[in-house]
Amino acid sequence: MKFRSPLQFKSIHTSFAIAFSCLILCTTVILSFTSYQLSADAVTENSRDYTTELINQVNINIETYIENMESISTLALSNDNLKRYLSNPNTAEKDQLSKQVSSFFQSIVESRNDIASIMFVDSSGEAVSDRSDAQVKSYPELSGQEWYKQAIEAQGRVVISSSHVQHIYQKEYRWVVSISRQLDLDKNTTSSSGVLLVDLNYNVINDLAKQIRLGQRGYVFIVDPLGNLIYHPQQQIIYTALKSEEIPMILSSPDGSIVAGKGSDSKIYTIRTNRYGWKVVGTTYADELIVNKKEIQFNSALWGIICLIIALAISILLSYTLTKPIKRLDAHMKKAEKGDFDNRVEIESSNEIGKLSRTFNLMIGKIKDLMNQIVEEQEMKRISELKALQAQIQPHFLYNTLDSIIWMAETGKMDEVVEMTSALSKLLRSSISKGEELIPIAVELEHIHNYLTIQNIRYRNKFTYSIDVDPSIHECKILKIILQPLVENAIYHGIKHMAGVSHIQITGRRYEGYIEIQVSDDGIGMNDEQLRYLISRINMTEGVKGVGIHNVNHRIKLYFGRSYGLTFESELEEGTTVTVRIPELEGEG
Amino acid sequence: MKKKKVIQIVIVAVIVLTASVGVFIKVSQELASNERPILFVPKLMVDKLEFWQVMNQGVMTAAKEYKVEVKMLGTETESDIDGQIAILEKAIEDKPKAIILAASDYNRLVPVADKIIDAGIKLITVDSGLNGGISSSFIATDNYAAGLKAGQSLIKVIPSEATIAIVNYVKVSATAMDRERGVRDSLSSYTNIKVLDTVYSESSAQKGYEVVTELLKSEPSITGIIGLNEPSAVGAARVIKDKGLAGRIKLIGFDSSMDEIAFLEEGVLQATVVQKPFNMGYLAVQTAVQVTSGEKVNSSIDTGSEVITKDNMYTNENQKLLFPFVE
Repeated sequence: MKFRSPLQFKSIHTSFAIAFSCLILCTTVILSFTSYQLSADAVTENSRDYTTELINQVNINIETYIENMESISTLALSNDNLKRYLSNPNTAEKDQLSKQVSSFFQSIVESRNDIASIMFVDSSGEAVSDRSDAQVKSYPELSGQEWYKQAIEAQGRVVISSSHVQHIYQKEYRWVVSISRQLDLDKNTTSSSGVLLVDLNYNVINDLAKQIRLGQRGYVFIVDPLGNLIYHPQQQIIYTALKSEEIPMILSSPDGSIVAGKGSDSKIYTIRTNRYGWKVVGTTYADELIVNKKEIQFNSALWGIICLIIALAISILLSYTLTKPIKRLDAHMKKAEKGDFDNRVEIESSNEIGKLSRTFNLMIGKIKDLMNQIVEEQEMKRISELKALQAQIQPHFLYNTLDSIIWMAETGKMDEVVEMTSALSKLLRSSISKGEELIPIAVELEHIHNYLTIQNIRYRNKFTYSIDVDPSIHECKILKIILQPLVENAIYHGIKHMAGVSHIQITGRRYEGYIEIQVSDDGIGMNDEQLRYLISRINMTEGVKGVGIHNVNHRIKLYFGRSYGLTFESELEEGTTVTVRIPELEGEG
Repeated sequence: MKKKKVIQIVIVAVIVLTASVGVFIKVSQELASNERPILFVPKLMVDKLEFWQVMNQGVMTAAKEYKVEVKMLGTETESDIDGQIAILEKAIEDKPKAIILAASDYNRLVPVADKIIDAGIKLITVDSGLNGGISSSFIATDNYAAGLKAGQSLIKVIPSEATIAIVNYVKVSATAMDRERGVRDSLSSYTNIKVLDTVYSESSAQKGYEVVTELLKSEPSITGIIGLNEPSAVGAARVIKDKGLAGRIKLIGFDSSMDEIAFLEEGVLQATVVQKPFNMGYLAVQTAVQVTSGEKVNSSIDTGSEVITKDNMYTNENQKLLFPFVE
C-alpha cells in the first residue's frame, strides 16, 4: 500500500506553506471580489447621485430664470402707464404714455442681463418695446409669429417658447427663450388688449447647461414638452440624424434614470422635469461607468495580488519558523540514527516541540545507558563462560581422577577402572564437544551422572546418590555446567568430612513457567552465619574469584534475568539444599 | 528539501509574473490614453468668419465625444497658401495622429499632403479637397447636389418660360465648377428656359453688383438669377433691390449672412442653399478617429445642404443653420 495522496508532501514546511497559501488565496480572492463589488456599486451609486444632483441644480436654475421672467411679465402688465396707454384713445397722450412704458421696460432690461427684450404689442397693431429707436417689424409680421399666436390662444396664461431666433426687430436675430402672455381683459372697460413678450437671453441657458460635466463625454440637454430641443450641445448633428436622442422615450418617462441603447453605445438619461414641462436630461455613457468599473477591477486585482504576495511571503516565513525546531529535531534524530547518542537537542521553548525535544533527549540518554549496560553484560558473560569452562575440567580434578585410576589398576580393580575411565571419557567428551551455552537438561544430567560416578569411586563409596528429575523436563534447556559446581560443593564441603555414608539427591520439577532443580545432601550443613556469608558472597556482582557457585548464580541471572538463580537452605548437622531456578525453555522438536 | 525549494520558487515566480503582467497592463493602458493629438488646419484662423467658427464648434464637440485632443493651427487669411504649407511642413515633425485639412489651394498643397501621408499620418480633407483625392476621406458639401437644389428651387418660383443668369465667383475652383454644373444640369431638361453665359463676381459683392448691372442692361428679359456664393448673391440682390425689381426677378443664393437673411425676409432673395459647417467639423474628427483606429471609411462624405426660404427660415432645424449660436 504505497499510494500517496497528492496532498501529502514530504515536508511539513511545504504542507504548512501550501495550507496557508490556499487559505490566503481564498480569503484574498473573496475579499478582493467583495471590495470590487462594493466599490463598483458605490461608484455607480455616486455617479448617479452626482448626476441627479447636478441635473436638479440645472433644473432649479432654469426654473428660477423662467419664474423671474414670469414675475417680470406680471410686473410689466400691472404697470399703470400701460393700462392708461391701452384705455386712452387720445393719440397725443398715447404717444406720451408709450414713451413712459418704453422707458419702464428699458429700466427692467438694463437692470437684468438675462433679459434680452420686452415688448408689448396691442391689438390695434402698435408695439411698445424697451428700445425707443428700434425698427420693429410690422404688425402683420409680428402677429404671425409663434409667441403672439400662442399667447392669444392661451388667453392670458403664460406661454413659454422653445429656444429660437427672435426676429421682432429688423436685422436683429438673437437666440432667446420667449415668454408671452395676453393681457387679461377687464370686461368692464373698453380698452384694447395686447400681448406682452419677455425674451430671456439664450446665453443664460447655454452657459448653464454647457458647463455641466458628466464624465468625459456626458452632457446635458433640455427638451420642451413637445420634444423640441431647447438646448443640446450637438443640436445640428441631431437634426441631420447622425446622432439621435430617445426623445419620445424621454417625454413619456417620469423623473429618474432610464437606460437607452445597447452595449457600449448605451446611454443613461437622468431626467428631471420642471413645472413648465421642460425636461432637463443628463446623459452619461454607460461605458464610462464601465471604464470606472474596469479601473476598480484593476485596482482590486492589483491590491489583491500585492496582499497575496505579502501574505504568501509571510506564510513561507511563518511555516519556516514553525517547522524550524522540528527540522532541527529531525537532524538530531538522524544523527542518533547513525549512532551518535551524545548529541542533545537544545530546548528553546516549552511548547509541544520543546516537550518532544526533551523526551527525545531523555530517550537517547536511556538508550545510551542501556547500550552501555548491554556491552557490560556481554563482557561479563564472556568472562563467566570462560570461568565455566575452567570449572568444567579442573586440572586438579583430572590428576586426582587419574591417580585414582592408577591406584585402582595397581590393586587390580579392573571393573572399577573401566567404569571410571569410561565415565571420565564421557565427561571430557561432553564438555569439549559442544560449544553451545544452552543444552537439554537430559544432557546436563548425563554429565552430572558421569561426574558423580567418578567422584563416588574416588571417595570409595562415601556417599550414595539419586537423580530424580521429572522426565517431562528432560528436553528443557538449561545452562551448561550448572549442576557440576553444586555437586562438587556438596561433596567437598558437605560430605567429605562426614563419617559414614551420605546421600546426594538431585531432583527436578516443573512449576508454572519455571523449573527448579535441587541438589541436596545430608552432610554437615551450615549454621546461619555461614549461610548468610555464603549468600552475600554469591550475590556480589564482581570481584569474587574461584567460587564456583557464585559464577553459576551470576551466569543464570545474566542469561535468564534477576528473578532466576540459586537459593540455599541449610541446617547444621542436617545438610544443605541448593535450588536452581531457571525459566521453562522447551527445546526444539 | 529539493522539492520544497522548487515549489517555493514556482510560487514566487507565479506571483512575480502576475504582478508584472498587471503593472504592464496598467502602464500600457495609460500610454494608450495618452495618445498624440489630431491637428485641425482650417483655411484661416480669424474668429469673425462664422463658417469656420461653427466648423470649429463641430470639431470640438466631436473631440469631446470621442475623447481625443484636437489642436488647431492656421493662417490669418484664406489666400496665404505658402503659410498653410509651412504649417503643415512643421506639423509633420510633431507627428500628430491625424491631420484634418481644409486646403486653401486645390493643387499647390498636394506635395505637402503627399509628405504627410508618407510620414504615416492620416490625412482628412474637409470643405476643400485636393487634386487627386489623396486624403483618406474628403468631408464636404456635395456641391453638385447643392447646385441641383438651387436650380430646382429657382424652377419653382419662375414662369415656365424664362431667361436665367448664373453669377459664379471664380473660374478655377472645383467647388464653383461643381455648383455650376449642378445648376445647369437641373435646368437642362427645361427647353423653354434659357440659361445665359456665366458671369463672375470674383467673390466680391461690389464686383457682383457691377457684372449683374451690366448683364441686366444687355439682357433685360432675365427673370431668374443664381448667385453661386454669398458675395455673388448679395451683389445680385442689391441690384434687384436698387432697381425695384424684387418679385419680378427671382434670386437664389448660396450660404448665409446677415445681408442674405435680410434680403430673404424682404423677399429679394427667394432661397439660399446653406452648407453645414458644424457637421463638417464633427464628421471630420469622427472620420479621423475611425481612420486612426483602422476602420474603413468612405473616401468622400457629403455633409449635405439645405434650401432655406422665407417660409422655413425659422423652423427649429433651419434657424440653427442660418443663425448659428456662436458664443
